[in-house]
Amino acid sequence: MKAIVFDASTLISLVMNGLLPELRELKKIFKGKFIITNDVKREVIDKPLKIKRFELEALKIKQLLDDKILELPSSVEVKDSEILRETNKLILLANEMFKGDKKDIRIIHSGETSCLALSKILNEKKIENVLAIDERTMRILVEKPENLKELLQKKLHCEIILRKENFVFFRGFKIIRSAELMYVAHKKGVVRLRNGQVLDALLWAVKFKGCSISDEEIEEIKRIE
Amino acid sequence: METKAAIANDDATKLRELSNHTIHTASVHQDPSDIAVAVVVYSISKIIERKDYRQDPQWEKFLNNFKLCIDKSIKYAEKDDEKGFAMGIACVRKSINKLSGKLRVYIQDVFKRAEINKASRIYEHGISMEQTAKLLGVSMFDLANYAGQTGIANVSENKTIDVKTRIKTTMEMFG
Repeated sequence: MKAIVFDASTLISLVMNGLLPELRELKKIFKGKFIITNDVKREVIDKPLKIKRFELEALKIKQLLDDKILELPSSVEVKDSEILRETNKLILLANEMFKGDKKDIRIIHSGETSCLALSKILNEKKIENVLAIDERTMRILVEKPENLKELLQKKLHCEIILRKENFVFFRGFKIIRSAELMYVAHKKGVVRLRNGQVLDALLWAVKFKGCSISDEEIEEIKRIE
Repeated sequence: METKAAIANDDATKLRELSNHTIHTASVHQDPSDIAVAVVVYSISKIIERKDYRQDPQWEKFLNNFKLCIDKSIKYAEKDDEKGFAMGIACVRKSINKLSGKLRVYIQDVFKRAEINKASRIYEHGISMEQTAKLLGVSMFDLANYAGQTGIANVSENKTIDVKTRIKTTMEMFG
């Protein structure tokens, strides 16, 4: 059993680019589950259903859930209470990791943290998994927290004190983005478009809808092809 | 005080500068009043740039009301009265609700865009997308769309692990 845990930011990039059919095709060739937590469901379905501008996107994502392309943690026998407990622990640890102007800086919220919590629980259950996260703060926190310190320091114009002992709780997670998912979709031939520079177009499209990928990384991915 | 002077001088650049400065504080302290100030000051910078709306019969009244609200906020700030200060800022929003017609729609739109712009700035400062969206009360869809069109993803700190490794991880997941 394998799983990809989706954060709201990744689903937003995909749905706003009309790339959910590609996600459906990816699911067909994936030997595992695409999972969202209830916190993420709230962000990408429940709330936008009440916003006229994003109602259609919310309905499209809801359809994925109805069709079991996306599934809730109960499908892998993980209880919401377990996720909530772990989420609360991780939020506390993350939000006391960076101190600026004598104050702990609250850097993350429950939705993205619930993904981390679920990934941790899946790891404990020996279920191989990756996180699909397009927004950058959580990714940097997990992969290179020193960079987040540098970024905060540079932008906030104050000294940031880093609680390094908390790093350990954020290690061992694997993160991918919608950009890498689209690379795989392209590579596996499941993208509907065949004409022109499809990969280039896909990567730029997800970047413009919030996927945190640099211009340089896009060029590197294209070279891998 | 600087805000008041900048409004009096029609100095939109100065107002934007003041708003940006507030964003640094808002990112650390995440105080709703700081955030509201950043949004209000940025909005007014945009509003005073558009001269055509000044012909609207409601314009003078709106501007005077706005200045009164700022005065009120300054007085409370001088007394360190946070609650009063927040009320002063909230009074700006109330003055918009008193408008009607095109001017109301325009100013509401400016405020909405200002919230998304400020959200993008806070996200740029290193606060997560969801945390930022919650702070500003904007949708993550709006924030992702706006932030995606900025250079936020191109800063050097964004690069954490190399592209090949991430592609390999993804390919391995799909077997």
